[in-house]
Amino acid sequence: MSYRVGVDIGGTFTDLCAFDETTNDLFTLKVLSTPDRPGSEVMEGLRQLEARYGVAPSRITYFTHGTTVGVNTVIQRKGIRLCLFVTENFVDVLEVARLKMPDPYDLRSRPPVPLIPKDRVLPIRERMRSDGLIDTPLDEASVLTALAAARALGAEGVVVALINSYRNSAHEHRVKAIAAKAAPGLPVFCSTDVWSVIREYERTITAVIHGYVQPRVAHYLGSLQDALRGAGVPAPAMVTKSNGGVMSAELGKTACAQMILSGTAAGVIGASYVAGLSGFPKTMSLDVGGTSADVAFIENGTPQYGVGEMIGEFPIHIPTVAVTSIGAGGGSIAWVDPLGVLKVGPESAGSNPGPACYGRGGTRATITDAFAVLGYLGSGELGYSAIRVDVDKARQAVGAVAQQTGLELVACAEAIVRIAVSGMYMEVSKLVSRYGVDPRDYALQAFGGAGPMMACFLAREIGMRNVVVPTTPGVLSALGGLIADIKSDFIATVFLDLDDAARAGIRDTYATLERDALRWLREDQGYAGEHSFVHSADMRYQGQSHEIETMFDGGTIQRGDVGAMAQAFHNRHAQVYDHADPEAPVQIINLRLVVIGRSAKPTFTATREDKRAATPGETRRVVLDGAARDVPVFARTDLTAGQFFESPAIVTQSDCTTCIPAGFSGRVDAYGNLILTLEAGGA
Amino acid sequence: MPIDRVTLQILANHCGAATESMAQTLYRTAHSTFVKETEDFTTGLATPDGKTFASPYDLGATWFVGLDYGRAFKLVDRYEEGDICMTNDPYSGFVCTHSPDVHMWKPIFHDGKLVCFAVGHIHNTDVGGAVPASLSRANVEVHQEGIRVPPVKLYKRGVLNKEVLDIMLLNVRMREQNWGDLKAEIAAMNTGERKVHEMVRRFGVDVFRDGMTGLLDYAESQARALIRKIPNGEYFFADYMDEDSVNGFPCRIAVNLIVKDDELVFDYSESDPQLTSSLNMPTGGDVRHVLLMIPVMYVLYTMDPSILLNCGLMRPVSCILPEGSILNPRFPAAVGMRTLCCIRQQSTVFGAFAQALPDVVPAACGDGGPLINIRTMDTRTGRRVMANLDPITGGGGALPERDGTEGAGMNFGFFKNTPVEINEAEVPVKIVRYGLACDTGGAGRWRGGSGTTLEFEVSAPDSVVTARNRDRIRFTPWGVAGGGAGKSSAFVRNPGRPDEVNLGNTDVVTAQPGDVIRITSAGAGGRGDPLDREPERVLTDVRCGFVSAAKAREEYGVVVRDGAIDDDATKALRSEMAGKRRNEGFGFSAGRIEFERVWTRPAYARLTALLRTLPVEWRFFVKHRVFEAIEKLSPASLTGTGAEVERAFREITARYPQLSGVVAAE
Repeated sequence: MSYRVGVDIGGTFTDLCAFDETTNDLFTLKVLSTPDRPGSEVMEGLRQLEARYGVAPSRITYFTHGTTVGVNTVIQRKGIRLCLFVTENFVDVLEVARLKMPDPYDLRSRPPVPLIPKDRVLPIRERMRSDGLIDTPLDEASVLTALAAARALGAEGVVVALINSYRNSAHEHRVKAIAAKAAPGLPVFCSTDVWSVIREYERTITAVIHGYVQPRVAHYLGSLQDALRGAGVPAPAMVTKSNGGVMSAELGKTACAQMILSGTAAGVIGASYVAGLSGFPKTMSLDVGGTSADVAFIENGTPQYGVGEMIGEFPIHIPTVAVTSIGAGGGSIAWVDPLGVLKVGPESAGSNPGPACYGRGGTRATITDAFAVLGYLGSGELGYSAIRVDVDKARQAVGAVAQQTGLELVACAEAIVRIAVSGMYMEVSKLVSRYGVDPRDYALQAFGGAGPMMACFLAREIGMRNVVVPTTPGVLSALGGLIADIKSDFIATVFLDLDDAARAGIRDTYATLERDALRWLREDQGYAGEHSFVHSADMRYQGQSHEIETMFDGGTIQRGDVGAMAQAFHNRHAQVYDHADPEAPVQIINLRLVVIGRSAKPTFTATREDKRAATPGETRRVVLDGAARDVPVFARTDLTAGQFFESPAIVTQSDCTTCIPAGFSGRVDAYGNLILTLEAGGA
Repeated sequence: MPIDRVTLQILANHCGAATESMAQTLYRTAHSTFVKETEDFTTGLATPDGKTFASPYDLGATWFVGLDYGRAFKLVDRYEEGDICMTNDPYSGFVCTHSPDVHMWKPIFHDGKLVCFAVGHIHNTDVGGAVPASLSRANVEVHQEGIRVPPVKLYKRGVLNKEVLDIMLLNVRMREQNWGDLKAEIAAMNTGERKVHEMVRRFGVDVFRDGMTGLLDYAESQARALIRKIPNGEYFFADYMDEDSVNGFPCRIAVNLIVKDDELVFDYSESDPQLTSSLNMPTGGDVRHVLLMIPVMYVLYTMDPSILLNCGLMRPVSCILPEGSILNPRFPAAVGMRTLCCIRQQSTVFGAFAQALPDVVPAACGDGGPLINIRTMDTRTGRRVMANLDPITGGGGALPERDGTEGAGMNFGFFKNTPVEINEAEVPVKIVRYGLACDTGGAGRWRGGSGTTLEFEVSAPDSVVTARNRDRIRFTPWGVAGGGAGKSSAFVRNPGRPDEVNLGNTDVVTAQPGDVIRITSAGAGGRGDPLDREPERVLTDVRCGFVSAAKAREEYGVVVRDGAIDDDATKALRSEMAGKRRNEGFGFSAGRIEFERVWTRPAYARLTALLRTLPVEWRFFVKHRVFEAIEKLSPASLTGTGAEVERAFREITARYPQLSGVVAAE
């Protein structure tokens, strides 16, 4: 008997998921997170897994873990004291960044305070040219001067990011070597080792975030490894990565930049998997937590990837599952402006104190409180008994807002929901237009604590026909970790005009990337199974300022078929931007390679669908579209494959509540997913 | 029927979704790099009489929010479903403000009745005319600024008007790119139409119609509530451009802001006459023209970022704009470089608000650094290259509680730079330096933000560097409450070499291989007495390279030795300096103080009043002659009352018999 266990640590809850490899049973669990003692929630979770489900630590043969420790280090500004070494005459790379203000309409808008203040940015005399040749040789004395200054400034680490190093990293690595001798023990992070990409600000900030969190993350992972060993878990810990893959925790200690969005990405991987099971090739995932909602688009089981995701106030430029955070969560606060107009968000009660109805000290009305007032959230337990809903507290909080608007309590609660949903609609509309997709082709997959609560309302607003609620919507990130493959990204900036002359360079560079990738997979990762490669390149038409990633098949690369590469780019360009210019010269900026080692996956078995009407456990009085009515409440555990029901209805389960307004028909698919379909004219 | 406020907020979100979707569609499908990089486009929804009631916040230019399309809409005869109209003529309906901006509008119908319009514009890189990119300060009439299309149907009942399109594309330098960008704009119009149809289906046409009015009314109420927080009174301010034409005289924009309860009046009567250069701002005398309202929108938004950005916001605001003045030029004045005029009008209005709302409005931001464009050649490949290098922005002005933002911000907060590595990979230049310029931010209790500097070496013969919107050498960004002015901008060839040339406010320079061009924007104004700045903060500035040790001593009275403060020397120096100077109000540059000794407010008042008696075409000419006459007088002999101005004016006009009988009474 053996178990695969996935753990994901969020702001409020830590989610656990245990898959029994013998019986194919899936056990889930939530415990409260302990941000001040990171790691102890994992131990608590393991204890409960054993106590409730008999999952003995000694039987855990695979363990994956997603953590926010990196993100929190940046947000709370608790990273190490860094110095930044840069090419002289370019010392303001962090201060100037890309100029644009966070809110360009606000005269007082300001950029975030840099993670490394200017007086800890030190110049190095050297200069690399954009073709990789040396313009000014490295002045080693300037390195020693900078190191002495760094020591005097109390630096706990140094980030080295030199102009054009993406083309030739020799100077960066020489600086590191000099530092190893002159200042042994001082951690030095080269920008080209973190993610060697063109654009000095983007490469530098990525390296800075990496260096800033690395010792904290390494320490955290070390204590987790110790704790797991102490608990008798035989499996080596794996961590989920921002790219939707996993790697060993041991590697994670030095590759922090790659795991900084681990939990978010794992959620989308989980959603992609569920999308495959439920048979919706196009899915928009909606992960609604306390503070924000994360939206991702999935096609044929694969999420979109991107770079430039925000870590707190800073962008990180490594390949990441493309997730857009929109500022609406279950904890978004309702308020009234001086003219009496009701607003929801962007301020949030977050996870602490959280909605008033959580009874953890919150007093201001949130979206969750509005749902409680409307009757959707009974006085029951949420989050595996970690929290009880106190409807009276919700009524008090919403009542205060109602008074300012002149609305009745219940009308006010409904107005809060409608305004919140219209705000989410606006944000999703932007994304839909940005990606140029038709939302009516997409199913909405809702997870996170508040996703299933809001999903049907949003789907109705957007015109999405189907809503999918996975069996374990509260712990999908933890499940995603169990499904994720071992995966790493490699990049080489080549900046080539795509013509016959480029053929050899492209082939050679890919050969080098493949060698590096296999070394990572076999030696660093110790993986012996089958591997696969995904080849792609960041390309553009000459004169464009943005690249788009274009995929190639392996044959194209082996043949060095530049014509096919150009054609792939034209096709991709047309797909993304609605136009292409087959006559225009094409440039390849970066060659990229993903290496994948398949991990053994839990296998979920389809149950025969027994088509019959579901029986509600109880009815609850709920206000819906302006009228109070009795609504059937189904317990998720009672719903079996093939059962169906009509809305309005409520489905409760231990980690969330699904609210289904009129106009939907519900059914349970062969894998236990709840499929809610908007009937024609139901909008 | 007034719409209930819950529905209003929901409708506001849906209208936001419509305009944001339009903007995302346009941005995604636009062809030119210029549009992608500068986001110089807008999208919106307008009522049948042209009032923009919804605009995007996330994407697009921040300068055209709440545009009134009314006059342009009326220039098209009859609207039918499927029409898309366009114009890029600055003088037809006054929605377009220079020829590269192609505005479009699409009527949206429900059951055969007009509901509203989708509207927007896109800045085409070039629309033909005398110079590439169509814009030059040297242009003197709008005919030189490229092809102009009056309001016309580009699509008539869904059918493309190919004749009009062909004429337009024949006259531009990069027809494929223009057509690509126009298609993106058309796609945005169609997105807007689809979104409005969705809203009409969801809310009903009556609710939607009431909603449009409701949103405008709501914004108006928000604006009035904010204006009520501004103390009643009159607030005068003037600011200058260094040159009113190539190597010309200073150009002054003056405003008297009158705040009365919940209304604002901006009286521009004392501003300069229209120019024989392309710096004029084409408002058509619209007292709420969007270009004039930009700084007002910034101030209201800064007071409360939750306001709706639409036409209704400006209902309580109006302007006084004499015809034939720089802010209300008469056809066919050139207007292509109106951006610089807008920048100066914005700083002028901020100066007035800085007196009314000292706790809200920062000191002047650093500007006068240009948008740098280079045309050169890659010697190895023989490829000709034309590229934007960077916008050279200044810092933000100092605030009541903090230093100004370094290198960027305020009304230039929408700009993005180009990475050094991208510039070097694409353009055959070597970037020698890019970053913040030391000692540029105005001194103060709170320091003005530093300007940025870019230095690059050219590698091919006869490379042409254009620097649009150069300014702020003589009249630099002002400080407030005793804070110092920002340091001058600079444009130099081969700095520190024997062949160094100060390029001043030149906007086109030819450079040869090995030439180094350095451009530094002005720094922003400071706030409060520099002697009140904590010595530790000054020391940090010195350590960070924002302020030199020499300036720390000279301007802040802080003596820094070997990286530490010399306490005793600092105390002594500060007490000595405290005795000498005190300035409570605006901090102006030495150049401005000197200029205003001659050109006092009364002298200017006389000049503008007298010039206004002349035919429009004569005003700029006579202004220059008056300036020349005053320059010849000894400064000591000037009274500052305007008497000398009047005398010079009379002498000059008497010289020209053509004027006899056509000079109007004052």
